[in-house]
Amino acid sequence: MSKFNTQNRVPCGLSPSIATMLGFALTLIAVQPVAAQSPSDITTLAGSCANCHGTDGRSPGPIVSIAGRPETLLLSQLKAFKSDTPPPGTTIMNRIAKGYTDEQIGALAKHFAAISANEPTKKRRK
Amino acid sequence: MTSAETKFSRRQALAMLGGVGATAFSFSTPAIAQRSAGRVVVVGGGFGGATAARYLKRGNPNLNVTLLDPARRFYTCPFTNLHFGGLRTFEQQGHGFDDLRRIGVQIVHERANDVDAKGKTVTLSGGRKLPYDRLVLSPGIDFRWGALEGYDQAAAELAPHAWQAGPQTVLLKKQLEAMEDGGLFILVAPDNPFRCPPGPYERASMVAHYLKTRKPKSKLLILDAKDNFSKQGLFQDGWKKFYADIIEWVPRSKDGKVAKVDAKAREVETEFGKKHKAAVLNVVPPQKAGFIAERAGVTNAGGWVPVKPQTFESAQVADVYVVGDATIAAPMPKSGFCANAQGKVAAAAIVASLAGREAPRASWANTCYSLIAPNYGISVAGVYEVADGKIVEIKGGGVSPREASDEFRKLEAEYGVGWYNAITQDTWGSKPA
Ligand SMILES: Cc1cc2nc3c(=O)[nH]c(=O)nc-3n(C[C@H](O)[C@H](O)[C@H](O)COP(=O)(O)OP(=O)(O)OC[C@H]3O[C@@H](n4cnc5c(N)ncnc54)[C@H](O)[C@@H]3O)c2cc1C
Repeated sequence: MSKFNTQNRVPCGLSPSIATMLGFALTLIAVQPVAAQSPSDITTLAGSCANCHGTDGRSPGPIVSIAGRPETLLLSQLKAFKSDTPPPGTTIMNRIAKGYTDEQIGALAKHFAAISANEPTKKRRK
Repeated sequence: MTSAETKFSRRQALAMLGGVGATAFSFSTPAIAQRSAGRVVVVGGGFGGATAARYLKRGNPNLNVTLLDPARRFYTCPFTNLHFGGLRTFEQQGHGFDDLRRIGVQIVHERANDVDAKGKTVTLSGGRKLPYDRLVLSPGIDFRWGALEGYDQAAAELAPHAWQAGPQTVLLKKQLEAMEDGGLFILVAPDNPFRCPPGPYERASMVAHYLKTRKPKSKLLILDAKDNFSKQGLFQDGWKKFYADIIEWVPRSKDGKVAKVDAKAREVETEFGKKHKAAVLNVVPPQKAGFIAERAGVTNAGGWVPVKPQTFESAQVADVYVVGDATIAAPMPKSGFCANAQGKVAAAAIVASLAGREAPRASWANTCYSLIAPNYGISVAGVYEVADGKIVEIKGGGVSPREASDEFRKLEAEYGVGWYNAITQDTWGSKPA
């Protein structure tokens, strides 16, 4: 676990070059050996959300869509799920949200906010 | 980067030995490899394979992706239990491959009969050999015929397993419908590991719902090779509430382990010699990885596939990635959700490796809903990552609360349907049926 906590300090979704510009890479190298490190990739993290919220967060069924919702809303919702007092009516998201760090939650909120809510299958990266 | 270099030099070495075909040769210089996206063959169009194919194309549209499955339409095991309960038609679990075709995946309706991991080809049932740069196997499970005495393929035609969706599902449903009111339905549950840990208990619940509403004098007996099972407390609470007079569960410690099956007589004999005769006998037999995994040399002595957790590449054979039920991925369960999640991780790793990049850090989740009665659902959830070279479950997750309102259970029943709609969209591009 400790290994991961260290790496989790690099915000998910930042490309290596941006991370370098921000000086994160330096910190990483100083903190731990370079070997056995894999780059964070927000699409990998976000992949699991699709299994209930639909591909790219566009839900085909009774579960809410998360694509194109305001980042602040997604973030506050996820934080509330993760807290010890989840919003009334919560069934499973409190259990799932606890599995992610605050940084990961922030990156996920940003990721899904950036996806348009309706656009069918237009190409979209990042 | 370094792993890509190792691969190229290995290929070059093979080429010098004359062991490599012309196509593979063209990849033997890194400069070309960087421009060429590569060929990926995916075996199995179920939860793991169809997801891997879709996310490979999403990850790099220039990849040449071929998906093999003899089935023209895939029927999911998930929600077949609801079919036994009378809550869904069989066809509602069917999914086609047109949407995968639309995004550029080549679909070949043949079986993979063999894998030559050195020459990097797959032999199809039609005789053709397909070359690959990376291979994905998601063949699901095969049964260990005969491991349970008396239970072989012929026996399954009399006492169905219905643990792969298709003709077996139809057969069991037919037997259930033909059963007289007052009959005994016996479900034989296997020891770990097996496909879908909560599956036998959801099946028992849904069959019991059918019996309660259509054949109320009937009973259901679960003969179990284990002493505990997934979501046990929640299932047993639900059974007490809905099926107290119908379901009886016999754990191994109370002589629940079946040692012998007589499919013709629909009779089973337990470890300690007790005989039970059924009107309908449903046997979930011991399992192993689909046979093609063995052909590819990726299985261990136990018949399952060890993988490198970060990428789901075989721990034994380079460039062969295995996902889904065939793998040893504990603490992740053998579920459709996990097969899908693993398919995405393998796809991302393959896209990266073909581009000479390092695989992104893996992350998976699982949510598994079970329906005990209409409007009464329960769930288990987990989030997983790799730590110290092993897959670990992150703190959190767990099952639905024991004490929950009817409203809560109703929501979980509804979200179960939402999950099914979402994952079948994400895997095959299906619309809710
Ligand atoms: C009754 C029941 C209920 C379930 N309910 C749930 C649930 O609610 N939620 C959940 O997440 N999971 C559930 N599961 C588990 C789920 O079905 C499996 O975990 C999932 O199917 C595994 O995916 P897979 O890709 O490994 O295998 P599969 O989905 O079985 O796909 C394998 C495919 O590979 C093909 N294949 C095999 N060998 C070859 C070959 N040599 N060449 C070409 N094609 C080949 C097969 O034809 C098949 O189509 C349930 C299972 C059962 C039995």
